[in-house]
Amino acid sequence: MSSVNSDNFLAVALVINRSRDGPAFVFHYPAQVQHNATDTGAGADLEDILLERLVQPANHNPSVANEQLPRQWDRDEHIVTDSGSQIVPWEHVAGFPARDLAGMLTPARPYHKTLFQLSLDPLYCVSYPIHVPENGKWKKQKKSGKGNDGDKASTVMDDHGVSNEADLSSGKLSDNSKDKDSKKDGDEDEKRSSMTMFNLVFILRPKTHEVKELVDSLYVNVVKKANKAYKYSQQQSDFIWKESKRILAAKDKAREEQRKMSSLWKEILQISSLAASMQEIYTAVSQNKIAALHLDTPLGILTPSFQIPVPFYVADIPEDSGRDQSGLWLTTANAFLSQDTLEEPGFLDRNFALLLMDDEKKIIAELQSDADPSTASMVEFVRLSKPTMSFHQVAQSNILTLSQVRRFAQHFIYWRRAIAIPPLHARDVYIVSPNCDPRRLPQDSVEWQRLFPVAPPLPNFLGELSQSPRPYKHFCPSKAHRPSYLHMLAWLMRRGWVTQLCTYAYVVVWPEIIYEVDYEMEAEDLAAASTSSLEQAKPPTIVEEHEHPLSPTSTIDTAQQQQQQQQPSSPPANPSSTEHVAERARLERIATKAHHRATERAITHARKTPPQPTPHPSLNDAPHLKGLTPHIILDAKKATGKEARYLSAIGKRFTDDRGKQAWQLFCKYFDGRCALERVALQEDMKRKEVWNLLTHMTEYVLCTRHW
Amino acid sequence: MIQGIFYARFFPQEGPQIVAQSPPGCITTSSDTTLPPRPPLIDFDILREYIIPRQAFCNRYLTINSPDNKYAILGHPVVIPHAKYMRNEFIFNFGLILDVDVDQVPYERVVRRLATTFSEMEKQNEYLSQTEGRADESNGRRPIEGLLEIVKEDLNNYGECMIPVDEANTLNMKLFPHHPNPPVVKGWHVPVSKTKFADIMDPTWDLTLQKVISHIDGVSDVRRIAHAASVSLDLAKTALRHLLYYDTILLLDMFFFGACYASRPGIHDFVSNVDGMVEECAGYVSHAGRRPSNFHLIRLMTSFVPGKTVLEWLWAHHEAGFEVLRYIDVRRFVQFGLIKGCLYRVHKHVVSKQYLAGLATGQSRPVEGADPIQQYTDGCHHFDQIITEQDLTDEEIMNKLKTLPVPKGDLALFYR
Repeated sequence: MSSVNSDNFLAVALVINRSRDGPAFVFHYPAQVQHNATDTGAGADLEDILLERLVQPANHNPSVANEQLPRQWDRDEHIVTDSGSQIVPWEHVAGFPARDLAGMLTPARPYHKTLFQLSLDPLYCVSYPIHVPENGKWKKQKKSGKGNDGDKASTVMDDHGVSNEADLSSGKLSDNSKDKDSKKDGDEDEKRSSMTMFNLVFILRPKTHEVKELVDSLYVNVVKKANKAYKYSQQQSDFIWKESKRILAAKDKAREEQRKMSSLWKEILQISSLAASMQEIYTAVSQNKIAALHLDTPLGILTPSFQIPVPFYVADIPEDSGRDQSGLWLTTANAFLSQDTLEEPGFLDRNFALLLMDDEKKIIAELQSDADPSTASMVEFVRLSKPTMSFHQVAQSNILTLSQVRRFAQHFIYWRRAIAIPPLHARDVYIVSPNCDPRRLPQDSVEWQRLFPVAPPLPNFLGELSQSPRPYKHFCPSKAHRPSYLHMLAWLMRRGWVTQLCTYAYVVVWPEIIYEVDYEMEAEDLAAASTSSLEQAKPPTIVEEHEHPLSPTSTIDTAQQQQQQQQPSSPPANPSSTEHVAERARLERIATKAHHRATERAITHARKTPPQPTPHPSLNDAPHLKGLTPHIILDAKKATGKEARYLSAIGKRFTDDRGKQAWQLFCKYFDGRCALERVALQEDMKRKEVWNLLTHMTEYVLCTRHW
Repeated sequence: MIQGIFYARFFPQEGPQIVAQSPPGCITTSSDTTLPPRPPLIDFDILREYIIPRQAFCNRYLTINSPDNKYAILGHPVVIPHAKYMRNEFIFNFGLILDVDVDQVPYERVVRRLATTFSEMEKQNEYLSQTEGRADESNGRRPIEGLLEIVKEDLNNYGECMIPVDEANTLNMKLFPHHPNPPVVKGWHVPVSKTKFADIMDPTWDLTLQKVISHIDGVSDVRRIAHAASVSLDLAKTALRHLLYYDTILLLDMFFFGACYASRPGIHDFVSNVDGMVEECAGYVSHAGRRPSNFHLIRLMTSFVPGKTVLEWLWAHHEAGFEVLRYIDVRRFVQFGLIKGCLYRVHKHVVSKQYLAGLATGQSRPVEGADPIQQYTDGCHHFDQIITEQDLTDEEIMNKLKTLPVPKGDLALFYR
């Protein structure tokens, strides 16, 4: 993901359109839109650019005011040209006359609430234009029957019986009622807003390769949400229009007074919470922070917030693509989750814990400084949550409910005060993350020393951890040190220095097992075949069967069988027709042949070495297993057919009941995606017990270890 | 795919109009009544102010998406001021309509080229303004509509076009894909070729490039290649970066039996034999005649773990009764794992706490004129870098580190 920064995000601008006076450029932030005009056509041929430059001077048009601008102009003061016209600094934005830009950035109604993406080399304008409903009134109509306050609009609504209020888009609403609405009331015109649309435009200058990514992430996360928030405030209290009028009036006045742009901008930001909110959007988003707006509308303060979510982990070591992701937590704990596991109730609660990204005391102080009814329980949550405790365990404390825990956790994660990690445990193995950022080492060493003065210095501790992977508790000098060592681990985790080394497993089916299952299946097959051939040969009377009771496994004497074959032909059939005789002879031949084949198979089967279970199938190199290679079951959870039989055959090899049960229970984790370290959490079992049981299975699993 | 191509012009009386378009009717209803009417791709009434915009926005590349966000309109409106024109100016635009999800970068120069060529031709002999009202070919010129159709068809089918417009002017255009800038090549990288250079290289190639290419063997690091090719290190790096840009080589790191490799999530593709990866590996690593089974290869690949060198890994398999070296080329095996993203190299770093403390307080060089090794002791440089930049072996570095004038226990090694 390309990150948004002040290099590729230049400004935000608010543009409105008015029914009588036409488009107006209300405000933009920052005041000076940094834009390097010589930077044109990054994607084009040098040759083409040269050609274009050659063409340009001839196109020189004296009417373009821009060209008249003096070179040495700080774009803050007003300039009066020789001809007496006044050049106002804010009437040129990003190198374009603001008036013309306002025209370009007020697109027609078809762009209502949809992506509007205009590139004016080298700038990119992205927005989500909002038009007034076609009845010309911003105020949302009241739902019919919800108390008529004499508003004409709502009477009209009642007449037409339109009541899909629930939909936030008033555009849809008015579509239904517009025709009659406009015919009915001539005086309605009085109430029609003179602002027909507004558009909060994001001015970008992306690099050639990042256009799509940048526009997409900004549009979905910020552009749309900001314009929707403004729309809400406009519907509620005509906020955008009223503020726009104030800003435009201030600009007009300043124009007369020839005020400096910087002082005017300072004033506007003070008097208008709309302008201030644009400043907040620009400042926060261009620094990749959370924009928290504060719209001081007549009906109260609105505080919408939005952000481009920052990734807090990567699943694999990032390729060296120039994008800096080093220092991010390296894990597959999130990436490996399939839809199935996500839907499994309680999965996330059991497998994740909250890791605060900041000091606990600092976060509590922050919470208390802005108190609301849920503050007390949120503070409690911060106190209770430990990176070693899953959400499930936190909820078991009975102080908070599970739904509270989830809600608060989401809240903290959204506000970037915490991340969710698999619970830390002293028995788990942690290694130095290949994605850690060594450039942080000098600062982090100092910080580490301050926080953990008695611990080994950070470089030494990292060295120890990375020397050879061992359970974390081995680095801890005594049990008494355990809690402080877990604090250290949490800190290392938070700063991206370490990651958990997990174990992933697949089931291996050794030749001995394969042979055993194949042998059994062949035997069953033969048995089934002989029963079915018996049934085929069986005459309509049941008596016959009683005369020749054959056990399915016994090898059948050929003569006896032939005798049997001939028998059914005698009683009921009609012997007169020769055709019939021929047909019967043919059938007999086929039957005999099939029978021969079956017998042959039975004989070969009988000659085969019967399977001999050994205590260690992996070491069995008996001659009859030559040519068989071990088989890997990729997902034991979904194994069917033969693979399911392999699994049960392996299950039978465990001598104790506990082992047998455990095999059945744990098989589902042998899919190469579930970390075996988390089985205990998931099964609510003792870690040691799970580990002992898994150790007994090592012969039948193939393990690989990574984060 | 170009969905539509058009020529629009500003008329003093009628305002902006589409003069020519291909396919017919893609923007405005075609005058040709023999064709079945099709709905236009875009609504010209809404987009006209972006196709023929105000003057301030002319003479630049301008794109806009259609309201339904299905198409992107790419144009380059041109204004030519001259007293001979009514209203003293001539405004036109040659534009393309693309599907919105198509990469627009290759088409930008097409649009720019159309704009420059036609504005030049208009200035030379009023090519555009003279054809007005005379759709016939009386003066031997192609009608613009036909021209546009050929441009569209050729670019769509061949990715390039070369169309003579009149005696003096030809439209030469090609769609070039956009490649991002390749990463910087370092001295310790080992280039591995992805193409058979012998088949494509000819004597007209850059001499340095030819010299460098002849030494790419999948084993030598960049420093060695530069030395062997008698090319300066920087030139060798530039040459290799060039090859990287065209995706003809990839970069690995140096192979040592004492180095450590470990698995990463891509290992699961190897276990599942995605796209026959294991067979491919067997072909790449087996010694003639002896092919280890898929299971063995998988077991070998999955058994790399942090903290275990290749040598230790070999020993572990030896003890388990599998003589790895008799079956496979270990270096190629590790390389295969690295290329396919199954393995990563665990690098060795050295840190001097004294040096770190100096960095933290802002003194980047705590000891002036110190051993050159010192600059590597901030944890940001791995041993491969020291090996290539200082021409030392791992062992020599370790010995040198011991003689560094630092307090006892100041140095720490870590692996990542």
